[in-house]
Amino acid sequence: MLIEIKNMVKNYEIGDILIPALKDINLNIEFNEYVAIMGPSGSGKSTLMNILGCLDTPSTGHYFFRGTDVSTLDDDALSAMRNREIGFIFQNFNLLPRLNSLQNVELPLIYAGTPPPERRERAEQALERVGLSDRMSHKPSELSGGQRQRVAIARALVTNPGILLADEPTGALDTRTGEDIMALFQAIHNEGNTIIIITHEQDIANHAARNIYLRDGEIHSDRIKN
Amino acid sequence: MQIEENLKLAWSGLTDHKFRSFLTMLGIIFGVASVIAMLSIGEGAKREAIAKYQDLGVNNIIVRDKDLTAEELEEVRIRFSSGLSTQDAQSIKEVVPGVEKIACQSELNAEVKYADKSVKSTVTGVTPDFFGMMNYRLKSGEWLNETHSALRRKVCLLGAGVAMTLYRQEDPVGKMVKVEDQWLEVIGILESKALFTETVGELAARDLNNDVYLPLETYLTRFGLTNQMQSQIKQITVRVANSGQIVEASNLIREILKRRHFNNDDYSIVIPYELLKQEEKERQIYNFLLGAIAAISLIVGGIGIMNIMLATVMERTREIGIRRAIGARKKDIMSQFVSEAVAISITGGIIGVVLGIVLSLTVSLFTDIKTSIQLYSIFIAFAFSVIVGISFGYLPAKNAANLKPVDSIRYE
Repeated sequence: MLIEIKNMVKNYEIGDILIPALKDINLNIEFNEYVAIMGPSGSGKSTLMNILGCLDTPSTGHYFFRGTDVSTLDDDALSAMRNREIGFIFQNFNLLPRLNSLQNVELPLIYAGTPPPERRERAEQALERVGLSDRMSHKPSELSGGQRQRVAIARALVTNPGILLADEPTGALDTRTGEDIMALFQAIHNEGNTIIIITHEQDIANHAARNIYLRDGEIHSDRIKN
Repeated sequence: MQIEENLKLAWSGLTDHKFRSFLTMLGIIFGVASVIAMLSIGEGAKREAIAKYQDLGVNNIIVRDKDLTAEELEEVRIRFSSGLSTQDAQSIKEVVPGVEKIACQSELNAEVKYADKSVKSTVTGVTPDFFGMMNYRLKSGEWLNETHSALRRKVCLLGAGVAMTLYRQEDPVGKMVKVEDQWLEVIGILESKALFTETVGELAARDLNNDVYLPLETYLTRFGLTNQMQSQIKQITVRVANSGQIVEASNLIREILKRRHFNNDDYSIVIPYELLKQEEKERQIYNFLLGAIAAISLIVGGIGIMNIMLATVMERTREIGIRRAIGARKKDIMSQFVSEAVAISITGGIIGVVLGIVLSLTVSLFTDIKTSIQLYSIFIAFAFSVIVGISFGYLPAKNAANLKPVDSIRYE
């Protein structure tokens, strides 16, 4: 079991008022699954993603990642967890504008303490995997949206994380480029990677083998395609 | 994260906004430059003072005959004082404990001639100990000695300036000079002495290199008194064995002279050591003030850095979020921003050091204020700028590290 969530609750406090974002979530995700988490805005899918991505911790309940209870980790351990196990892919790419593609992809390895020659080699390999070996020294501003998202995917892949966590990865792209990116996800999944995509588009969710619908902070349905 | 990566990041942070970084640095630049310039000017002044008083001899007490008008002179003579004399020196030597050496001198302003050249000079009759007590050095030839005095030989030593003016390329030793109607044989040349630029008590500012020295006995015989009222000698210089005895010895000398001159105030006592101490004290206050100004400037510079770093952190909230999301720990973010603040302050420090050196060189080049750049001041200024960078970069960096990744990554 890769991810095991048990009776997880997340509340936000605004002043004296307690706002429940997630109510009693139970969820298991296996190795090499391809999951889409769907739901309207306010359904709690972003909160769930933050917790899955170790950016946030649950209020109560447990989140086990490869058997480690993430809810008990301190900030440094969470950082290390994000560095090793989570590959984030964002809607707006979130590349550092001052760095070129290669430097952006190298970034997670810097925080992992990987020595420079190895770092460079692995970053180059990751960029090759996403088909951007000819754009290594380009800055984000010199790349198209699709290319930027590919750099972001390479950055997520470079540490060989346990999961790729993609938040609306095609949201800022036109339909055709979006399809290209989804094809790339499929290829990466076929290589044996676990992928979780957060989206509100059914078309995108259809690429995933398993669709989870959230509504009002609860799992409304959890379907696995044949 | 590796230090090297932090340095690279800090450097690019600096160069991405060159003008802004430069403005931020100004406070540090001025602070550091003023520390260095100020210390170099202070040190220059100190050295000048020390040189000045060392020339007078820090263990010396100088008793000098006052320059009185004819009426005043008549007045004191009526009241039984016969002016400064070798007998005064003799009494001081006999009575005051701890006196190591004592020298008497008489002075006469006269034209000194050689061949077709002449120079205005102070012709001074001295006892042999005088030269050692006043830190003179011989360039060539020999010193005046007891034999010269005892035999009242017509020999003299020339100051470097006189020798240069009268003899140019020639070697003056063995030549004759004419002072008034007397011929004197030059037996030695003195090394150049620092200009005495400031009047201290009765000691007028003048160029000692224009002096001609001959044995006091010869002087008294050959030039003697030009008028009956004149005192026998112009100055008595007393050296005590150590500076601790100076106050006591000078009080005693005052008493002796008071008695011998029948309470007439026709002499003055100059104590270089006390003047040195007094000047040191004044300079300390001055240095403290300047130091405070420099410190304020550095603090203001630090606040400038803090201000810009706080703005930078705001501006780069998103970047911080991204870095945190891909695995940067709080301390990685922390050290990144502290490094950037330190990079600004160190760069400012380096520019400040250069500016400070240029400033003090300019001061000594275009004014007659002497400066001496101190290596330690460069270290102090530099260390200060690093400390300022760390301490004023700390708070913004802490803010950056404490941003919640969940919020900062979605910050627009």
